[in-house]
Amino acid sequence: MPKILLVEDNEMNRDMLSRRLARNGFEVVVAVNGQEGVDLALAQQPDLILMDMSLPILDGWEATRRVKADPATAAIPVIALTAHAMAQDREEALAAGCDDFDTKPVELPRLMGKINALLGLGG
Amino acid sequence: MDKPTENAAGGTLADEGLDGREATLLRATLENMSQGVAMYDGEHRLVTWNKLFREYLDMPDEFLTSEHTFADYIRYLGARGEFGEVDIEVALAQRIKQLDHPHSFERVRPDGTYLEVRRDPVPGGGFIAIYTDITERKLAEMKLREDEEQLRAIDAAAPVGLVIMDIKTHVVRHTNGCFGRLIGRDAATIIDRPIAALVGDTEQTARLIDILLSPSTERQEFSLPRADGTPIFTIVSHEHLEFRGAPAIIATFVDISDRVRMEHQLREAKEAAESASRVKSAFLANMSHELRTPLNAIIGYSEILSEDAADEGNTAMVADLDKIQAAGKHLLGLINDILDLSKIEAGRMDVYLEQVFLSRMVEEVKTIVSPMMAKNENRFVIDSPIDIGSLRTDVTKLKQSLINLLSNAAKFTKNGEVVLRLVRDQSAAGEVVRFEVSDSGIGMSEEQMGRLFQAFTQADSSTTRNFGGTGLGLTITKHFAAMLGGTISVRSEPGIGSTFTIELPAETKAALDSVAAPEIADPGAPAEPGAITVLVVDDDPAVHEVLAATLGKEGYVLRHARDGIEALNIMRREPPDIVTLDVMMPKIDGWSVLGIMKSEPALEHIPVIMLTIVDDRNLGYSLGASEYMTKPIDRQRLIALIHKFAPGAEEGLVLVIDDDPHVRAMVRSTIEDVGLHVAEAANGKAAIEWLDAHHLPALVLLDLMMPEMDGFEFLTRVRTDARFADLPIVVLTAKELTSEEREFLARNTLLILNKSAQPIGTLGSALASIASHRNG
Repeated sequence: MPKILLVEDNEMNRDMLSRRLARNGFEVVVAVNGQEGVDLALAQQPDLILMDMSLPILDGWEATRRVKADPATAAIPVIALTAHAMAQDREEALAAGCDDFDTKPVELPRLMGKINALLGLGG
Repeated sequence: MDKPTENAAGGTLADEGLDGREATLLRATLENMSQGVAMYDGEHRLVTWNKLFREYLDMPDEFLTSEHTFADYIRYLGARGEFGEVDIEVALAQRIKQLDHPHSFERVRPDGTYLEVRRDPVPGGGFIAIYTDITERKLAEMKLREDEEQLRAIDAAAPVGLVIMDIKTHVVRHTNGCFGRLIGRDAATIIDRPIAALVGDTEQTARLIDILLSPSTERQEFSLPRADGTPIFTIVSHEHLEFRGAPAIIATFVDISDRVRMEHQLREAKEAAESASRVKSAFLANMSHELRTPLNAIIGYSEILSEDAADEGNTAMVADLDKIQAAGKHLLGLINDILDLSKIEAGRMDVYLEQVFLSRMVEEVKTIVSPMMAKNENRFVIDSPIDIGSLRTDVTKLKQSLINLLSNAAKFTKNGEVVLRLVRDQSAAGEVVRFEVSDSGIGMSEEQMGRLFQAFTQADSSTTRNFGGTGLGLTITKHFAAMLGGTISVRSEPGIGSTFTIELPAETKAALDSVAAPEIADPGAPAEPGAITVLVVDDDPAVHEVLAATLGKEGYVLRHARDGIEALNIMRREPPDIVTLDVMMPKIDGWSVLGIMKSEPALEHIPVIMLTIVDDRNLGYSLGASEYMTKPIDRQRLIALIHKFAPGAEEGLVLVIDDDPHVRAMVRSTIEDVGLHVAEAANGKAAIEWLDAHHLPALVLLDLMMPEMDGFEFLTRVRTDARFADLPIVVLTAKELTSEEREFLARNTLLILNKSAQPIGTLGSALASIASHRNG
């Protein structure tokens, strides 16, 4: 069962997305801020990380940069989740090392497509 | 000269003691005078006169032929009304009294002519009367007087200030009352003083003199100081004129204080409004964010509940929950539009320029709008030349604009056609790319079009009810077009359809060409020692462009080949570190290139990234399949395919390769129903063995996932074997590429990348991992 680390500070968003990912056959690990996200990425070695960008303690861009800088976690694909599809969000997310990008609210089929593509390619 | 006659003029000059010659001379002189002349003797008898006398006074012949005195003459004229309503005896007495000294006067005759009458006594008694017609002079004098009077009145009454200034001395020669009122001084106190005294400030004086002496008569604004120190705003215009014999300038000053004050107020009001608008936009931007958070929960949880309800089979609840979800999404769309608009209005919407490859972008747009097209059963047509190339613009805004236009077109068209047309063209402003969205929908009237791009306005207020939407899409699209340096226009006819056109400048396209073209033209550019060289093999120039633009930046040295032959030649001459290989190319395809590479020891080890399109249909094609068919198998379609690839082959044979005996059995019965024979193989290896031992079948049906040798390997082998080059192969595959299929591809180091919508980061990381593997 592929393991996904969901880094999201908003409790409702975290609850919704983790439940729906679990329903789609993923094991879900959650982190509530960027620092916890970086720590859990290393400790849990998930197959993929879903990273909210506006996070407390450590924001999503910085957390992604750290995940990508550590050889032990660099290979884990990261999908950035941002609130509104603005070009600068996409640019910044890709610049921080994110492998893909999606907007909230999550359209599950679209997000699943991206998750599957990255897992398939990375597998 | 006419000889004078008794009738024309007369008198007997000889009687007065002149000899004949003198009399003739005098007569000639009299007749040639430009005045009327009459001479009277000591007894005031008329003794001689000339022709003009007779004409000026209209004297009848009978009066002149008889002997008459001056008194007779005056009485005669008086009776004729020549002097108006006067007592003629009184008038006569006055005239006689004056005859002893020279005198003159003017009078107006009843016909309106003016006569100057001069009477001079002559030595020895009598007098001479000289009549001059001064009508012309009198009229000219009157006209001059009237003109002067008018000018004086204008000067006094004009609502503009007038100043006449001497050109040389800059001294004020004249001003009018209005100018005095403008500056709050008595006009008379200004005359004969230098213009500097009017203005005060030296610099301003110099400017005013500059204005007045400039050859341009263009009007200028100038502010004059009033007596009380406050300024008065005027518009000055000027003309040259001669004033009392000296060259001068006449300047008019028009008071525009009211206008300036209004402009000032207007500017203040505008600034206030803009500031309020900025505050409003900032508020909206923040509010939109606050609104979105709870909305996300509404949408997300209704979606979860709907999934739960669907699992429980509670369809009534699914329908209701879907309504909550749809309403939430609509509201979210509205909020996002408002956020965009408020960002635009607050000037906080940034433009990110990048090279956008248009055919790729159009594919992405197509993926998004296709479901909208299907909803109203509209046909969606993309009309874009293969070489449409690229454009430097903001891809997010361009895509959003096109999606806005296309979703509108889909919404307002039913069972019709929506066309997206891309055209590269020359306009007055240079090279442009036009994006036209045409539909065969309900269209619009002139009046509706007029309101089209205004916020919160749809062509008809009932539109929102009937067709949904926020009414902000076109406003945002128009803003985006402007931000990208372009325009948006519309033409439409009610009931016929509408065409929206976005035109964007392509000015930076040439710059890209100059970067990418030499690299493609010169595949042998020297590589820096240690740099990773990547050979890009693709027949699509856009792929070369995008890879040159992105990988070049990452420090990779790129080599370019447009087909497989060229690629192999370059590889043999100078083996690259990595090859990216397009599958579908003219001459020889990517699989053949790969096969040749794997058979040559010098090329065998080079890692290859297959660039193709990861949609299952195209995967089938790119692996060398003639056709493609999804499972479960549709019998009608199978029969149609057999007819297509094995026409008239009544005795023909179909080879079915599938590891599932149920599929083989089902396919066999369908094929035998149409009268063809069937051979079966359970995997690729068995199929190759069968092919080696038999005549070529009319058609091969191929499953992809099989044990021992799967469909991919079977295709690769068959396609590199000349015997089977023309064998029609139909690939059978499930609708979605399975994860096993993906894993297979990954295991075999063939990275299949989606060329139409690939985040470039993935190709970059693939290259990086291959490169690090090679170095390590």
